[in-house]
Amino acid sequence: MTDDTDAHTDRDRDADADTDTDTDADRDTQTDTETETEPATDDSSRLPRIGPGRLALYGALLALVIGYLSPLYGGLTTAFKTQEAYRETSPLQPPIELLSFPHLDGFTVDPWFTAGGELAMGMINSFALTIPAAVFSALLGSLAAYGLTKVNWRGQAFLLALFLAAVFIPYQAVLVPLRQFWSIVDISGLHERGELVELIITHIAYGTPICTVLFRSYYQTLDDELIEAARLDGASLARIYRKIVLPLSVPMFAVTLIYQFTQIWNDFLFALVLLSDRANYVVTLELNALQGAMATDYGVQMAGAFIAALPTILVYIMFGEQFAKGQTM
Amino acid sequence: MADLQLDAVTKVFTERDGNQITAVDDVSLTIEDGEFLVLVGPSGCGKSTTLRMVAGLESISAGQVRLGDTVVNDSKPKDRNIAMVFQSYALYPHMTVRENMAFGLQESTTMPDDEIEQTVASAADMLGIDDLLKRKPDDLSGGQQQRVALGRAIVRDPEVFLLDEPLSNLDAKLRAQMRTELKRLQNELDVATIYVTHDQTEAMTMADKIAILNDGELQQVGTPLECYHEPANLFVASFIGEPSMNFFDVTRDDSQLVHDHFRYDLSNETGDALAGAHAELVLGVRPEDIDLQSTANGAHTYATVVDVVEPMGNENNVYLTIGDEQTQTFVATVDGMHHVEAGETVYAHIPESAVHVFDRQSGHALRNRTVESTTIPETKL
Amino acid sequence: MDSLRNSLRRLNPLSETATEQSQGTQTQGSLAGRLRDSDFVESMPFWLPPTLLVLLFVYGAIAWNIAISFTGWSGLGQPEYTDLSLEMYRQLPADQDFRASLWNTILLLITFTGSSLVVGLGLALLVDRKIRFENAFRTIYLLPMALSFVVTAIFWSWMYASNGVINTTLNVFGLDLLAHNWIGNPQFKLAAVIVALIWQFSGYCMIVYLAGLRAIPDEHYEAARIDGASTLKLYWRVIIPQLRSSTIGAVVVLMVFALKAFDFIYVMFGTNPGRSVDILAVTMYREAFSSSQWAYGAAIAVVLFALALTIIGPYAYTQYKRGAL
Repeated sequence: MTDDTDAHTDRDRDADADTDTDTDADRDTQTDTETETEPATDDSSRLPRIGPGRLALYGALLALVIGYLSPLYGGLTTAFKTQEAYRETSPLQPPIELLSFPHLDGFTVDPWFTAGGELAMGMINSFALTIPAAVFSALLGSLAAYGLTKVNWRGQAFLLALFLAAVFIPYQAVLVPLRQFWSIVDISGLHERGELVELIITHIAYGTPICTVLFRSYYQTLDDELIEAARLDGASLARIYRKIVLPLSVPMFAVTLIYQFTQIWNDFLFALVLLSDRANYVVTLELNALQGAMATDYGVQMAGAFIAALPTILVYIMFGEQFAKGQTM
Repeated sequence: MADLQLDAVTKVFTERDGNQITAVDDVSLTIEDGEFLVLVGPSGCGKSTTLRMVAGLESISAGQVRLGDTVVNDSKPKDRNIAMVFQSYALYPHMTVRENMAFGLQESTTMPDDEIEQTVASAADMLGIDDLLKRKPDDLSGGQQQRVALGRAIVRDPEVFLLDEPLSNLDAKLRAQMRTELKRLQNELDVATIYVTHDQTEAMTMADKIAILNDGELQQVGTPLECYHEPANLFVASFIGEPSMNFFDVTRDDSQLVHDHFRYDLSNETGDALAGAHAELVLGVRPEDIDLQSTANGAHTYATVVDVVEPMGNENNVYLTIGDEQTQTFVATVDGMHHVEAGETVYAHIPESAVHVFDRQSGHALRNRTVESTTIPETKL
Repeated sequence: MDSLRNSLRRLNPLSETATEQSQGTQTQGSLAGRLRDSDFVESMPFWLPPTLLVLLFVYGAIAWNIAISFTGWSGLGQPEYTDLSLEMYRQLPADQDFRASLWNTILLLITFTGSSLVVGLGLALLVDRKIRFENAFRTIYLLPMALSFVVTAIFWSWMYASNGVINTTLNVFGLDLLAHNWIGNPQFKLAAVIVALIWQFSGYCMIVYLAGLRAIPDEHYEAARIDGASTLKLYWRVIIPQLRSSTIGAVVVLMVFALKAFDFIYVMFGTNPGRSVDILAVTMYREAFSSSQWAYGAAIAVVLFALALTIIGPYAYTQYKRGAL
């Protein structure tokens, strides 16, 4: 970064304003590489000086990519190694290479089957938890945001402040009462899957504030005149929601559902506190248990981590933009 | 169909810190059936708030809104039998033009579907948007969206038609075209209409009656020409007309109005009109009423220096300075062929028949220009 | 565009309507009030159920937790709400574990937040230089945000293992001297946690800053350029100061997260991670759910909540003042 900046600074100092499009090009005009555009506009004596700055930039970006991916890379190589290969080779060494040394026989997919078997039930439970909890919290958030943003009455600001503050509450502050509450409202006593229902309701309750905040920020950008026009057209609040607001909320539902899916799938704390029956364990609990049971078998641990993360990684890759939007509100 | 009456309508907003802001102050208006009333005023004068109170989108702090004999203060918007065109058009972006226009009928009437279909089709036909019915608002140009917004209001067959700056999002050329079209449409529909704008040209060209609002207070209600030629006060005089009326701070000294740089002789008739008023006055004259002459010739003629000339094509706006310090400038509008140049000395003739006199303190008009009632001379708009 | 109303709304989207009053002294006032009330009633089905849910689960639970912290509840029984005292809070200052974890929490809060912001800003500035494959770079840097802490704890325990990725890499470069038992040695434990969390959160900071950078009009870059500012000066004097509100938002999110960073430490070290890396969130869980010292755990939770309030409070207040709510 510093190298790159210095290179630009030097260049800018002796360049005249008209032809020096380098920094502007960096910013907004050209996305093409410098080598393609610069020779046309600049004299060739400048070329070598442009190269290093741009190269350093990409060098830094690539080095960071290596840094950011190394934990995943180390996990991936290890997840495909036999115990023997794990002991005898460096974690940096990919198992693919081992294939070419058949006498080592270090490549295996066994850890994936082992971990997959251990986590299967947890994965199913996680889906059973995450999907309804995400859908209902998004729906409640949308309803609340509509009632608090697009309909005007006194005292809204106060309720909105309560919702906003609830987003930031450290959950430790509610754990003990939460356990008490669910021991009194004993859904788990009614059915063996009751614990999971308790966890779903809990996630809906704690997910609603962030969903409300997300939907509110979106509804604020909806033209008020749209709602007023619908009122003049004779639609009731419920009809306006159903016919106007809901259809226009589809992009925000995508953002909110993806946010909630990731949050709830990844949750560990509420599950840890509320689930006691192993049959109800969600995948994060199972993965933690797997780590404890296979403390020395990093291959299985790594394969398990990838399996548990797969749904969120897929969602992230498919809906990266919506994911980012949810994170930045 | 019925008259719409606003009776001492007032709107008070309370800010979070407890400050109260009177946005609309004691406004009384009558809009007769079929009448086109333009509510005009600068930004923040309370004109949109007034409109929204009529629509039922804003509660009424005091006063009454009556439709015929019914007080509608507490009626919901949908029960007032009004239709409104919004500044942003507020077209439902996810619905086609047909669905946009049909929505109001579906929500507020029990009209069967085929009848709705027919009503929409005939309104679309009237507005020349029948080929757009299957499109969505995003695929339409600004002018087309404007027509759809009008169509959506028309299908409701309302008793009162409200328009909130409906042309402000169009480019200048389209705006001029839509002005005429809107006026024609309103004539055809023959329905009481309130049209809110900050653009005095729209007010002048479209209105049967103009209501001018400033700081929440009604300044004057009258026909466009009344407001132009007989402004009730300084505000109206300066707001209506482009370029604005010229004003000179003067003091009355017997039969003369004394300005720092000139003296204006008053006839007896004018003198009588000012009898009993304060001595601190404002002399007003419209730019097109000033004649520029090359020689000093007769009464009410003053030597001035041309500062800037703005050629408009058909006419020139000539900015003049009077007096040595060049502190007082004013503008005269002359024929486009009349050639003057900056720096030139010209003589400005300010005919007494065209002169307005206002009380400087209260702003009230004490004497307006004389208007021959049958033929109104050279209104330049 | 009638702008008194609009400008009021812009100043504060709610001020005008939220506090609009029916003027009691004026004849029609009560009627106006009724009109408003009908909106209130009609909109209830929308906001009331979610509001009740949040009031019960969030605010009711917090109040309940405070009540529990005043009891002496422990073990298998039920809390006695008749005998309330500050006993739990009296015990806190003398508790070495508590003091250590309070200190660690604050240390984590500051170093984690500061470093994540710096790294995130660096990433954002790099990515914002009109690079090729911007999307791919952004996706990779933000990827850790999509992972569960359980997952990242497992990856990082392998990173930090004595024969794991980091030590092996140091080996390759002949830096054996620097190899350590990162998560066994109390000296490095907290730092190891912070580094892993920076890895996970810097991508978040990056997108917050990127959004901030993209909101700065191009004219600012151009104007500074014409004024003759160097690239370094341009960023330092013109661009970075405009990222203030991005920074404030990110700081609140990061700090509040740091307070509740439980999963990662719990999965990596268990309920008893040792004093060098114990934080309040873990201590609270251990006291309440491992040792059944419910009231004491609740008291620690109240401390945690109070810390969170000192961060959220000013933020929410300024948001409210600015009319952003």
